Amino acid sequence: MPSVVVAQMVVSGALMGLVYALIAYGFQLTFASSRSINFGQGELVMVSAFVSLTLTLHGVPYWAMIPCGMLFGALMGLVIERTGVRLALEQKSEGWILMTIILGLFFFSGAENLWGRDDRPFPTPIPSDPIHILGVDVTPLELSVGVGVLAIMGLIETFKRRTLLGKALEAVSTDRDAAELMGISARKSIMLSYALSGAVAALAGILVSPITTVGPTMASALILKAFSVAVVAGLDSGFGVVLVGMFLGATESLASFYLGSGWREAPGLILLILALAVRPTGIFGKAVIRKV
Amino acid sequence: MLTVQDLHAGYGASEVLHGVDLEVGQGQLVALIGANGAGKTTTLRAVSGLVRPSRGKVLLEGREVQGLEASRVARLGLAHAPEGRRIFPTLSVEDNLLLGAYGRLPILLGYKGRAVASLQRVYDLFPRLGERRRQDGGTLSGGEQQMLAIGRALMADPKIMLLDEPSMGLAPVIIQEVFATIRRLKASGITLLLVEQFAKSALEVADHAYVMERGRVVAQGSPEELKKQERVIEAYLG
Ligand SMILES: Nc1ncnc2c1ncn2[C@@H]1O[C@H](COP(=O)(O)OP(=O)(O)OP(=O)(O)O)[C@@H](O)[C@H]1O
Ligand SMILES: [Mg+2]
Repeated sequence: MPSVVVAQMVVSGALMGLVYALIAYGFQLTFASSRSINFGQGELVMVSAFVSLTLTLHGVPYWAMIPCGMLFGALMGLVIERTGVRLALEQKSEGWILMTIILGLFFFSGAENLWGRDDRPFPTPIPSDPIHILGVDVTPLELSVGVGVLAIMGLIETFKRRTLLGKALEAVSTDRDAAELMGISARKSIMLSYALSGAVAALAGILVSPITTVGPTMASALILKAFSVAVVAGLDSGFGVVLVGMFLGATESLASFYLGSGWREAPGLILLILALAVRPTGIFGKAVIRKV
Repeated sequence: MLTVQDLHAGYGASEVLHGVDLEVGQGQLVALIGANGAGKTTTLRAVSGLVRPSRGKVLLEGREVQGLEASRVARLGLAHAPEGRRIFPTLSVEDNLLLGAYGRLPILLGYKGRAVASLQRVYDLFPRLGERRRQDGGTLSGGEQQMLAIGRALMADPKIMLLDEPSMGLAPVIIQEVFATIRRLKASGITLLLVEQFAKSALEVADHAYVMERGRVVAQGSPEELKKQERVIEAYLG
């Protein structure tokens, strides 16, 4: 029954793809407020996953570990904003690109030294025995990824639309000077967006690790796909990343099933190349590239 | 209320203001006039903190505010309705107004309840904003956007309001409306620093006026005094 197999591949791939969507969403959050992104976001995902793993191994229950891990991610987001981004933005330079890459490298070698080079399993109480839904087998673990990603994105989007602080973030992203004149601190808004972006990155790591394992190299695998998703969906539109992420995830799992697991990375790369060919201004939009 | 002393400011390496002094007293309407490029907008931007002055002082109720972030200055009671209006086009009219009061409202929830009275005051002043409260700011006409910009500044309950060319790009009828609004604001006792191209109209409403040329104040006085000065007449009132 090949059609069942295809459906099977598409569903579990799409659920994985939501992780890419979530990381890409983290790019959107900081881009909206500051026109900058953290190029070390993959390393942030990885380090947060390692910290969460360490908490779990020290007996912190799973459900308590999640907020702690996200808090850690938020703090790291603030550190990155302060050390890698703020100065460059104040001087209207693109120095943040290099700085965030360098911070990512720091995170990478820090992780290698602290936790070693090996991939490690990430224990979870969520069962991985498949359940049968509408003719396909899905594991609760895979479902938890989907639920977690959509829940956090829904929560943040609601926050942005319903609270005055959320509207203030929108104001900063459309007209920074005018927002300042309303008494809205652009500096604090950027800090908040980096904290949110870091928290979201940490959650992505916590959700994906039980499926993929945790290791220093998980960063590069994830970040490339998150970039592809962000380039295709654009850096300003909220839920576009969800669709593109699910599409990429599904394509990936089909490719690795039909062509062999060596082809797993191909769709992401092809998507990125195509997107850059069609939209050469790419991930930064027009504004930044013109200045570079 | 507002005192500016020897203010120097510019963009990058080029200095635009070469020592501006001016004074706005409590409840006064002070006009700042001058030709294009004289530095009027830059003066307002340096006062409100959008441009960092390289020298000089800005005193708000006796307190030095030069060099502070614009958001800090705004929270100290200075509302600046900038040149070109700069409303938030993707937010609703009401959200634009609510953000005007950002500094004194709860930032998470319950902010609407706390703003009811101030919103009503703005809608009474500009009924058309009330009718369009759910519309996106960007869908308003130029005149309505100017009203929104003024209303948004009023929402802060400011000690002083800076108004940069509210008549810019508007039809003559609408400009008259804008000046009628300015008269009403003045009657309500608000302190105003007004930048205007239409020097005649500005001098009609002002208590005191400054004339700027190439980054300096070159004349000042009451409107009556200024109207007598030859060079002012030639340059701006001719
Ligand atoms: N963002 C900027 N970057 C560089 N130079 C600027 C900038 N804004 C204004 N200037 C320069 O500063 C000088 C004063 O400009 P400013 O906008 O303050 O004049 P203005 O009196 O408000 O003129 P207008 O009546 O046309 O609004 C001009 O020579 C202008 O070219
Ligand atoms: Mg101007």
